[in-house]
Amino acid sequence: MSTLTKPIPYDEVRRDLWRPLSGASPTYLITLLVLSAVVLWGLCAWGYQLYEGIGVAGIRRPVFWGFYLVNFVFWIGISHAGTLISAILRLTDADWRKPVTRAAEAITVFALMIGGLFPIIHLGRAWLFFWLFPYPNSRLLWPNFRSPLLWDVTAISTYLTGSTIYLFLPLIPDVAQLGRHATGWRRRLYRMLSLGWTGSDQQWHALERAMKLMAATILAVAVSVHTVVSWDFSMSIAPMWHSTIFGPYFVVGAIFSGIAALLIVMSILRKTLHLEQYLTPHHFNNLAKLLLLMSLLWFYFTTAEHLTVWYGNEPKEMNVFGARVRGPFAPYFWTMVFCNFVVPFVLLGIKKLRTITTATIASITVLIGMWLERFLIIIPTLSFGRLPAAWGRYSPTWVEVSITCATFAAMGVLYLLFSKLFPIVSVWEFEPHQGPDA
Amino acid sequence: MFVAAEFRDREGVIRALRDLNSDGCRSDDIAVFSDEAIEFPRDALHRPSHMSFVVVMGAITLCLVAIGFVYFTQYNYPIITGGMPTFSFWATGVVFYELTMLGAIITTFLWFIWESGLLRRGARKPTPTVEPGLIALRVECESNRSDGVSDLLRSAGAVNIRTLG
Repeated sequence: MSTLTKPIPYDEVRRDLWRPLSGASPTYLITLLVLSAVVLWGLCAWGYQLYEGIGVAGIRRPVFWGFYLVNFVFWIGISHAGTLISAILRLTDADWRKPVTRAAEAITVFALMIGGLFPIIHLGRAWLFFWLFPYPNSRLLWPNFRSPLLWDVTAISTYLTGSTIYLFLPLIPDVAQLGRHATGWRRRLYRMLSLGWTGSDQQWHALERAMKLMAATILAVAVSVHTVVSWDFSMSIAPMWHSTIFGPYFVVGAIFSGIAALLIVMSILRKTLHLEQYLTPHHFNNLAKLLLLMSLLWFYFTTAEHLTVWYGNEPKEMNVFGARVRGPFAPYFWTMVFCNFVVPFVLLGIKKLRTITTATIASITVLIGMWLERFLIIIPTLSFGRLPAAWGRYSPTWVEVSITCATFAAMGVLYLLFSKLFPIVSVWEFEPHQGPDA
Repeated sequence: MFVAAEFRDREGVIRALRDLNSDGCRSDDIAVFSDEAIEFPRDALHRPSHMSFVVVMGAITLCLVAIGFVYFTQYNYPIITGGMPTFSFWATGVVFYELTMLGAIITTFLWFIWESGLLRRGARKPTPTVEPGLIALRVECESNRSDGVSDLLRSAGAVNIRTLG
């Protein structure tokens, strides 16, 4: 991939990045309509589940955690795109991050919103979700603070709050500029969101300081969130869950899938919004190299996890291990290895093959592989528990499949709406006298 | 009254800021406006901040509140723990950690709003319009000093000098 870019005049930067905000092409509208229809279908499926009861889902004894929990872990993983890419690169002053950060931060917020819904969907009686929060109530019941499931509630609430603020703060100067030029309801919206930003040095200093502090804090939260999600599993003494490396293993997987999601989104935005000058091969090249690194790390952790189980030869663990690598789950397992390791290793490891297209292909396979990984972590352990008499199979119903598809469509809808309301690349970070990679 | 001027480059602003400092202007009376974040040397424009300290305090406060909340609720509404301690620091440490971070996040945002003067009510000082790529400087001074300030800004390289308010 070529890494050369030429500086772009600031006026042109503003014109290019504001252009997608006005008007809507037929393709945009059709895509929005189709995705909204899928979301609506998913909502209907959820409504059906609420009406009929959780029994319409495929979760049965002994597999009580099915697609919903798989999706929960998957989407929380995707949410690591924004914070890890944006915060690390911001803290290290990596200049090439500028066109990438907002797209990544938006993924984080949307993925968290979607991921955070799954425990509620999984509750069955979703309308009582607020019982998870500690509040004075007549039942004299309080949440069990020592439960890892409540750790999730605090971790995800903190992460969602932090990520939203982290997305909003650098948006303020841009919406202030937009507020001066827009008309009608957009003007009112932008002016309200800009909170009275004037661009004084005092405000810039406060923003820079706040962004640095937020970057440092959000990094610590991001790592803790996926560690806590992994502890949902590893704190139980279930075969192939009770592992000390689950925390870092999950964090690595989360960053891995997050980068893949970011590459896919960037590739689509580049093509559809004509941002070729801003999302250059240089950015794809850097992210592709990061993806390759994470693929190698993922492979290392997966090998370490499975090798120690195999070498230990503990019968209960070996039942699950066998089911994964040569039993009923073997096709999924080897597809996962192919998607997460073989494809990225070949396509991104060989320099001549590393292009925007191959990086996007590798990212798609990584997302498939990572979803399978979450599936393989959850389902085989529950299917092949400690008591062979209690073994059972799991197959998802149309309700779970519909809701799963709807979440991917919801991500698309949220992104389409966001890209129509706000510049997807931070305009103010392109200093007037410098280009995107200066 | 306010004197506003525009500069084409950062160096011109730095010259003007240093000249204004030596002329006796307080940094509270000076404001620089731009469409981008510009760093100035400390001797030109120094904006001290307590944000880091306040954020740490915010984090500690919410951590203590969380510990107190969990401790007292676990004793007031005890659950069956199978012989284990009613309140366990280890088993609830994650909750404290996350709420500590939440304290830091919320304090950062609130202090940013406060320090940047956003949402602040009361009489606002006039804000000069800044064209993209230009930097505007606003100086608050007595009306009898405005000519002197204007000359000083002009000699530093300012264009389009005008009075506001």
